[in-house]
Amino acid sequence: MDYIMAKILGIDLGTTFSAMAIVEGGEAKIVENKEGARTTPSVVAITKNGERLVGILARRQQITNPKNTIFSVKRLIGRRFSDQEVQRDKKLLPYELRESTDGGVEVKMGNEPSGGWSKPPEISAMILQKMKQDAEERLGEKIEKAIITCPAYFDDSQRKATKLAGEIAGFEVLRVINEPTAAALAYGLTKKKDHKIIVYDFGGGTFDISVLDVSADTVEVKATGGDTHLGGDDFDQKIMDWLIAEFKKDQGLNLASDQLALQRLKEAGERAKIELSTAVETEINLPFITSDESGPKHLYFKLTRAKLEELTEEYVSRSIELVKQTLGETKFGTNDIDEVVLVGGQTRMPLIQEELRKFFGKEPNRSLNPDEVVALGAAIEGGILQGEVRDVLLLDVTPLSLGIETLGEVNTTIIPKNTTVPTAKSQVFSTAADNQTSVEIHVLQGERLTAQGNKSLGRFILDGIPPSPRGVPQVEVTFDIDANGILNVSAKDKATGKTQTIRIEGSTGISKEEIARMKKEAEMHAAEDQRKREFIDARNTADALIYTCEKTMRDAGEKIAAEIKKEIEVKIDELKKTKEGDSAEDVKRKTAELSQAIQKAGSEMYKSAPASQGGNDEGGKNAAKGEYKEKQNSGE
Amino acid sequence: MEEENNPEKARENSDPEEKLAECERQKHEYLSGWQRARADFLNYKKEEMERIRGFIAYSTEELFLKLLPILDSFERAEKAVPANSTDECVKGVLNIKSLLRDFLRQEGIVEIQTSGCKFDPNFHEAVDEEERAGAESGTIVEEVQKGYTINGRVLRPAKIKVAK
Repeated sequence: MDYIMAKILGIDLGTTFSAMAIVEGGEAKIVENKEGARTTPSVVAITKNGERLVGILARRQQITNPKNTIFSVKRLIGRRFSDQEVQRDKKLLPYELRESTDGGVEVKMGNEPSGGWSKPPEISAMILQKMKQDAEERLGEKIEKAIITCPAYFDDSQRKATKLAGEIAGFEVLRVINEPTAAALAYGLTKKKDHKIIVYDFGGGTFDISVLDVSADTVEVKATGGDTHLGGDDFDQKIMDWLIAEFKKDQGLNLASDQLALQRLKEAGERAKIELSTAVETEINLPFITSDESGPKHLYFKLTRAKLEELTEEYVSRSIELVKQTLGETKFGTNDIDEVVLVGGQTRMPLIQEELRKFFGKEPNRSLNPDEVVALGAAIEGGILQGEVRDVLLLDVTPLSLGIETLGEVNTTIIPKNTTVPTAKSQVFSTAADNQTSVEIHVLQGERLTAQGNKSLGRFILDGIPPSPRGVPQVEVTFDIDANGILNVSAKDKATGKTQTIRIEGSTGISKEEIARMKKEAEMHAAEDQRKREFIDARNTADALIYTCEKTMRDAGEKIAAEIKKEIEVKIDELKKTKEGDSAEDVKRKTAELSQAIQKAGSEMYKSAPASQGGNDEGGKNAAKGEYKEKQNSGE
Repeated sequence: MEEENNPEKARENSDPEEKLAECERQKHEYLSGWQRARADFLNYKKEEMERIRGFIAYSTEELFLKLLPILDSFERAEKAVPANSTDECVKGVLNIKSLLRDFLRQEGIVEIQTSGCKFDPNFHEAVDEEERAGAESGTIVEEVQKGYTINGRVLRPAKIKVAK
């Protein structure tokens, strides 16, 4: 290897949580912290003993040490003390703030020498330093460079302060990029020209909207809006208030004054909120929540998604109102917006997604984890600077599955869809009838379980197979697709080495519309195909068993008692009739009956003369049109 | 016509060297690309195995974490039982609690000590602070919810009250 490229850490330095990611092998991935978490609380503290704590540890001691535990420092970074925002937050924050000599802000955390008055970038640097150390430990190498994100509305001074925080932490800060831009990058939306993007960022404590205009290599922020004091925590509070009110109605007791009950309510409320993003109803069950003279009291309520939506409707509609306002500041209408991107955990709420869908008339981008998307985007920015993302060798994938037709018009897949090419895979098949000397290989493309309904790519015949009982010959079928999508299918009789091949061009060059149509058809017919397939499998198993039984009767008929022989013959006839019908269940039942009958014969034969029998009927269910699957292997 | 062909030929003649050099360059590029891809793949396989191991450990931990509130509730119930209770049903329910606790113990889940300990955010989460006569500041005066470690790592910190 010529040289090792140093990794660039992408950091989402958030108000309540921070996250970090790197690009590896052309893809961004989150780096976990030392505690194994994917996000780190943006909290720093100095304990009474002068020990500095960062992240979850700082948060765990916050209650006992409120004056020396600094959180939400992002609200102060790069601001002047006289700023309205700072004056407002000063009233809400439990720690001390003062004006620095240059008119900025200083916060007090602990006492000299371990603590004292610090500037916000120094506090942020402590968070970044922990992330740096944790990342280095995780990745086993030094990390010197970073991309840090900040809100789109940050002014020059706030950006400089953010950069400074990174430098104090020991990073070379390559760029400070906008959070919404990072989110758009993570979704790969910045490559298109003249693209207008709305980024809707609903975090724990802040709500931000940004309108981005992407044009040739630049991302311009057209407008920003939101509410710096609206977040998912407000939703949790609503649930808590509701629980307290309901409990009071129910039991006449006020939980609001019980600190411990409140803790449990908060956790249960948040859990219920998360559950209601996927379920329509959840229960909040807190036994022994409190007690009075009459004994212990339990809290048990059902919360429906509809009720949660009713409780928090004001916040959702306010957020949509703010989106309207922000969009109003640009010359764009809702129709001009090409993409809506969701950031922040609260956007998992179905009502929010629904309202945005209604408002913009399009599906929001939400396939990435909304808590991680900004950090991922920052890492991708790092990857682009490094060239790792741009220069990745693009490899195609097979858009649809490729396979062959096997016994009963079944489509047996050899190369599943979305397999990266070039690739080769082979499977061994066999014959379905005695003395079969040729097999037909019918190459299929598509997702249908039955051969019909898939696209036929070509067919050929391999002949000259030496006559032998069914299941004995071994025909290896190999599918090989090269990087250009050219498919070579070959069939080789392992006994004689005789080979036939077919070359099919354009197995990947199939139009998008056709792929979509074929996938849709497969979905539509999935249940019906599954039923057919089950029946065919059952029938193939039955065939194999009938074959074995008849062979046994021929070879060892005289060793079997007449009544058992008779029973087997009857069962064979029954099964033969049943498999001409259309019920897989019936065929399976009759197969089981015959199987029991032949086992009786088997054990009787063993009694009279112990002998070894190597027959195995299991493969029978895969018996194919001219082929009988035995084993499979795949080449690399 | 021949004269026109000559320069063409001359160029062709000088080409082999260049062509060879170009081929050499390409061969090097392709071979190294292939080697890298191969190495990437093998490394990926190793990392993936590592990741799967981590994932299994993580998903088990997640499961245990979700089981703990049930044990918490049993413990709250136990606390609420009058000391002189002789109710056999209560006894039976408390035995169910022991079943659950023993199962978790067998899986390597151990209670975090709090009684008489100093508050340590590595293992404890403070939920309240109280004046308590005779208790030194910073020591734990009450355990609100048990904490647990799994194979030496904190699965869930103990929630405690600290002396002021």
